[in-house]
Amino acid sequence: MRDNGKGGALTEVTFFVLLALHEPRHGYAVMRFIEEKTGGRLLLGAGTLYGAITALEEKGWIARRGESEDRKKQFVITAAGREIAQRELSRLRELTNTAEAIIGGEKP
Amino acid sequence: MNITRRRYFGGAMKSQEKFLNRMAAEGHRLVKTGKLTYEFAPCTPGQYEYRVEYIGHLSRENAEDYVSFLRDCGYQVFYKNINVDWNVGKVEYRPWAQKGGRLAANETTLHRELLIVEKEKDGKPFELHTDPADRVQYRKALLRPWLYALACALALSALFAVRFRSVPWAVAAVLALLGLLWILWRIGKET
Repeated sequence: MRDNGKGGALTEVTFFVLLALHEPRHGYAVMRFIEEKTGGRLLLGAGTLYGAITALEEKGWIARRGESEDRKKQFVITAAGREIAQRELSRLRELTNTAEAIIGGEKP
Repeated sequence: MNITRRRYFGGAMKSQEKFLNRMAAEGHRLVKTGKLTYEFAPCTPGQYEYRVEYIGHLSRENAEDYVSFLRDCGYQVFYKNINVDWNVGKVEYRPWAQKGGRLAANETTLHRELLIVEKEKDGKPFELHTDPADRVQYRKALLRPWLYALACALALSALFAVRFRSVPWAVAAVLALLGLLWILWRIGKET
């Protein structure tokens, strides 16, 4: 997974993991969150999700946060992760504004 | 009543996966693995499905953390060996593994190079690696042990070919070289 943290442009998986972890969640809950929010379009394999989570943990964008009631390891976004997610949101807004101005009036 | 099947697949992960999925389709759920054995308990035919994954390149901590993550995701996970040698206190050097996993011992991932992951069927696809970049990383991890094995085979067979002026060893060296080039090409293609 390659993310360009400085200039924005996160991968879709990274951005969704960061969004999911705005509240503490364990791995399965993250999978369900992404599946639900994309209407089943993005189904993440557990191996892929684990790779994404460990990469984000190494970058300091997310952190472990104890265990849930059913003793599953939980993760949560950090201040650095929130800043990255906010920056990505701004980048996407700018992109959609540009696209809207150019092709927004066109009928598909 | 539980049944036991004796099988040895070595590193043939797809064959092992097919065997386990066939057993599950016939109503046998995996409950225990041995070096050469698989123990199954009765279940509804087609209730479970299996994937086999290589983890020999991971450090002990990362392997255990990954297994715990998979269990948190609701999967049943079994360790499985690739080799069948019985020993205690053996240490194996794996230059292709990540830091912390290069010295594999009985206490780490030696004889626990594979994971068998079981999921209860829910109508959704069951793949452990779904992202293209992640798949590339995983395929590279699978190819690296072959790279080192073929490099060693090439060095030894070339040495014997020169030392003994032997045609069979020279042929072996050429075959090892071709294999090595093929693996390098595959790794390059994945990058």
